[in-house]
Formats: sequence, C-alpha cells, structure tokens
Amino acid sequence: MAQKPIQGEKKVFMTGNEVCAWAALAAKADIMYGYPITPQNEIMHYWTRLAPKFDRKFLQTEDEISAGFTTLGGTLAGKKSFSATAGPGNTLFQEPMSMAEMMRIPAVVVIMQRGGPSTATVIYSQQEVTMTTFGGNGEGWRVVYSTASHQELYDYTIKSFNTAWKYRFPTFVLGDGYQAKMRESLTMYDPEERGIELVKPEATLGQPGMPGVDREVQYPRNTYNTEEELYQRNMEIARDFEAAAPEIVEHEQFNCEDADVVIVAHGVVTRAAQAAVDQLRKDGLKVGHFRPITLRPFPVEEMREAVKNAKKILVVESAYGQFTKQVKEYLYGMTTELDTLLKPGVGITSDEIIKHIKG
Amino acid sequence: MSKLYKIALAGEGGQGVQSVANILAEAANDGGKEAIYIPNFGVEQRGGVSIAYVQIDDKVIGSPKFKTADIVVALSDRSIERTKRYVGPNTVFIYDSSTLQAAEIDDRAIGIQGVEADPRSQRPTSLTDDEAEFTATLPTNAKAVIGIPANDIAKNELHPRVFNIMILGAVIKATGVLPIEKIKEAIELKLGSKFDAKPELRELNFKALERGMNLVDKVL
Repeated sequence: MAQKPIQGEKKVFMTGNEVCAWAALAAKADIMYGYPITPQNEIMHYWTRLAPKFDRKFLQTEDEISAGFTTLGGTLAGKKSFSATAGPGNTLFQEPMSMAEMMRIPAVVVIMQRGGPSTATVIYSQQEVTMTTFGGNGEGWRVVYSTASHQELYDYTIKSFNTAWKYRFPTFVLGDGYQAKMRESLTMYDPEERGIELVKPEATLGQPGMPGVDREVQYPRNTYNTEEELYQRNMEIARDFEAAAPEIVEHEQFNCEDADVVIVAHGVVTRAAQAAVDQLRKDGLKVGHFRPITLRPFPVEEMREAVKNAKKILVVESAYGQFTKQVKEYLYGMTTELDTLLKPGVGITSDEIIKHIKG
Repeated sequence: MSKLYKIALAGEGGQGVQSVANILAEAANDGGKEAIYIPNFGVEQRGGVSIAYVQIDDKVIGSPKFKTADIVVALSDRSIERTKRYVGPNTVFIYDSSTLQAAEIDDRAIGIQGVEADPRSQRPTSLTDDEAEFTATLPTNAKAVIGIPANDIAKNELHPRVFNIMILGAVIKATGVLPIEKIKEAIELKLGSKFDAKPELRELNFKALERGMNLVDKVL
C-alpha cells in the first residue's frame, strides 16, 4: 500500500487543475480516464505524474464519448473512476452520463468551463450550466457543484466522490477556465484525518459466485421495451433523486435578511458578488447575495427564503441567461422584479456589479 | 489599509510574460501575501498575444478578473492594442520602445524564447518612421506612459534570454509591491538548478533584474 498522498495540513500555491488532481488522489480515486481539452488538460497531466507514485491508474481514450463510457466501466468493475473535460468535450460526455443516470452508475467528472458555443475560446465562461445540469436525453438526474475558489475545488472534488458513490448519480464539479489555469493558495488535507469518511466503491459486475444463487443478479439496464416500463424506471429515479436532494443541496448567503436588492450568482462570479455586497453596504445600500453551491439539485427553498423580502433580484452570470432561466423557474409565482447582468464568455468584476446596481 | 495591486503583462507568445507573472505571484505568496495569477492566451499553440493577470493583496482577493490595472506592461505593438482596455487614469503603462512589430515565432525555434527567434534581431534598426506610427497607438488616458528600450538593452548589454527578467525588475520598481529580496528568492527557487550548473546565469539574471529596476526609476 502506497503512503497517503497528503499528510497533515499543507498550504500550497497552485493551479486549479493541479488542485483537482491532488483532490482526486486524496479522495482515493483509483483511475482517471481522459481525453485532453483546454482548459482542463493539466488535470490529466498532473494525474499521470502523481498516479504511478500512489498505485493509481490512467487511461487516455480516443475521444470524450469513450472517456465517459470507460469511466463508467471502471466504476462497474469496482473502481473509483473519474474524468475531466470542458466545452465540446462536455457535449460528448452527455451520452455516457445519460447512461449513468439511467443505470445509476457513480462517476465524478470535473468540468472546467470554456467559452462557447463550439470551440469558441479556451479561456473562461459559465456557458456550460445548462449542459452540465440538464445535458443528455433525459431529466438531468445528476449532481452539480459550482465552485468558486481553489479551496472549494479541493473540498468539493473530494466530496463529489462521496456524493456520487453514496447516491449513485453522476456528479460534476463545475469549475471554469479561470480556476483551471489560475494560481492561488489553498490548504490541502487528508480527508480521513479530518474525520471525513470516504465511501468505498463496490463492483457491480464480475463479482464472485453464481448470480441468483450466491448473490443477487446485477442487471444494469438502459433500454426498455414499453412506455410503462420506462415510466416506472423514471419515477423510481425521480423518487430517489428527490429523496436525496435535501441532503445534497448547498448554498451560501450574504446579508440577505434586510436586503432591498439580492444578487444571485454562482461559481467564480460569487467572488465578485461578495466583494460588491461589501462595498455597497459600506456605501449604505442594502444589498445581499445568494449563491447556490449545488446547481442540481438546486437550493430552491433556501433561495426563495433569501429573496422573499427583496424589492429586486439581480442575476449575474458569464453566460446569456442559462443560469437566469433556472433562477426564474425556481422563483415561479413570485412577483419580485428580476434584473440581469449577462456577460457570456467574459469575467465579471465587482465594479461592474456595483455600477449596475447604482445605475 | 491593504492595497490591492492589479497587474497586466502582455507580449507575444514566447516572450516570457507568463514566467514573469508566475515568479511575481509566487514571490508574493511566499512573502505571506495573497496572490492570484491567471494566464490568458489564444487557441494557437504558439504565437498570438499572451496576457498574464496578476493580483496581489494583503487580504483574500475577490474576483479574479479586473477591469483597470495599476500597471500594464506591453511588450509588442499587438499587445499594446490588446491591453489598452485595462488602462485608466491611475494606470502606469510600460511598453517596450524598441519593439515595433509583432514578433514572429519561428517554427524551427521551438523551446527557445521568442526574443531570440525574433527576426527583428537581425533587422537593421532604423526606428524613426515606425516610431511615429507606433506612438500614435499608445494609450492617452494613463497616469504615466513609460517607454523602455528593453529588447535592445537585453540584446546589446545583457542577453536576449534575460529580457523577461528585466521586465520583472521594471514591474517591481514601478509597483513597489514586493521587496527585491523576495523576487530574488523566487527566481532562485525557479532557476536555482540551472544556476548551480552555470553560476554566471545567476549573475546575469540578477543584473537584468536590477537593470530593469533602474530603467523605470529613471523615467519616473
């Protein structure tokens, strides 16, 4: 048994991609399947450097469809498998992740959002929200954590493995190009030393003994002959997803209680929103901020509570309304004025938010 | 009161702006400050304008993106165009006055810094005509616009390879964000093994760093 990759607490200064590779190691991931695409390439690069030192494995596939399916294959064989992708790669990942939803196969995929549509830029955006939360031909039975800092990339990558294996839904860590390539400081730790129990993977297929005699028959299935069978299957998944949702949802809020304006933002943009709230409060304006950490399932009740006294809601995103669409859906029935600051594919600063609110 | 330093460095791919930013951010982090460094480049494998954004503060930094920089360093004419948008009334804008044309990265020169592969280094220097056209594109709204003949100095006095270290010296001087010792430690950390093999490189790099500092000192 190789020694633990991280002992004690360690303050480091590195890129987000490097952080994700370390976090996967710390979470005891066994294998990464991957195909290179900017800005997440270095997750693979770092993993391939680190993995052999700690008895872990790596397989480069011929494309992202294959990377997605092999990741699921690894899980079925009883390994903690993960992958990482971005942009057009995320598009290709949707087919295997749909299968994971149907067959309830755990997987962790780190998404470092780049500009879109198509190849677009290799830099940054929040334009993979719709695809990551509801991609594939189905209902979007998956978990999505939208992170804002390197510390969160580390914390939530570790957490994702537990969420995925505990609830058996594919789980995404949603970062972005800034986070992927940026260097900033964070504290790395061994999760078990902090009392975080790591869920152990189990093989679905190929277990010893005679199926039906020594053990239950495993029959992961993604095709159904009748409407009624499919309906039943979907309702089972829906029931499980809705039962798990209250345990999974996470959010943060800042000064919402007495706020006239509540900024709703996620991911990296929450940093600008938090800074804007600090400044605007100093200027005497009653502004608050609500941030969903899980975009799927969404902290619906928590958001409705946070904005219930507001005169105005301002949704800020580096996309042209993908997140706004979700916010609107979950605020259904409320008549509070809703304003937006939409900047597809570019970063948003606190100054821009302040300027927008001051008008 | 902590001061947030926002720095944008831009040049042609291969000129070493990302190394400068990296050393700067690591020096800040090692010195107990908060630092963020984001590289930004096009989809090209090499060539194209490469921009590095660095923020340094005593407290945790919010948004990784900024609109107006305290200091902008532009090392080619294309990068001047690209970085003008980060200039405001409090920005110090430093550009390489010996750089007139965009550097073309020679395919045969992979792994060698762009400056050495730059065909301009073989070109006779007759700057007057180009200069006029070039000056016209400089930002007009900056607190100070400082032209330093960095490329020429690196080539003639030092070595093209330490061009970026000279730029680093200029940034340090212009911002005063970090003491020179911290930068020297960071350089040592990054290039120490190379220095051990070739001690004269250490001297050359530190000389370049101080030459860069002197350049800005004179202008300011």
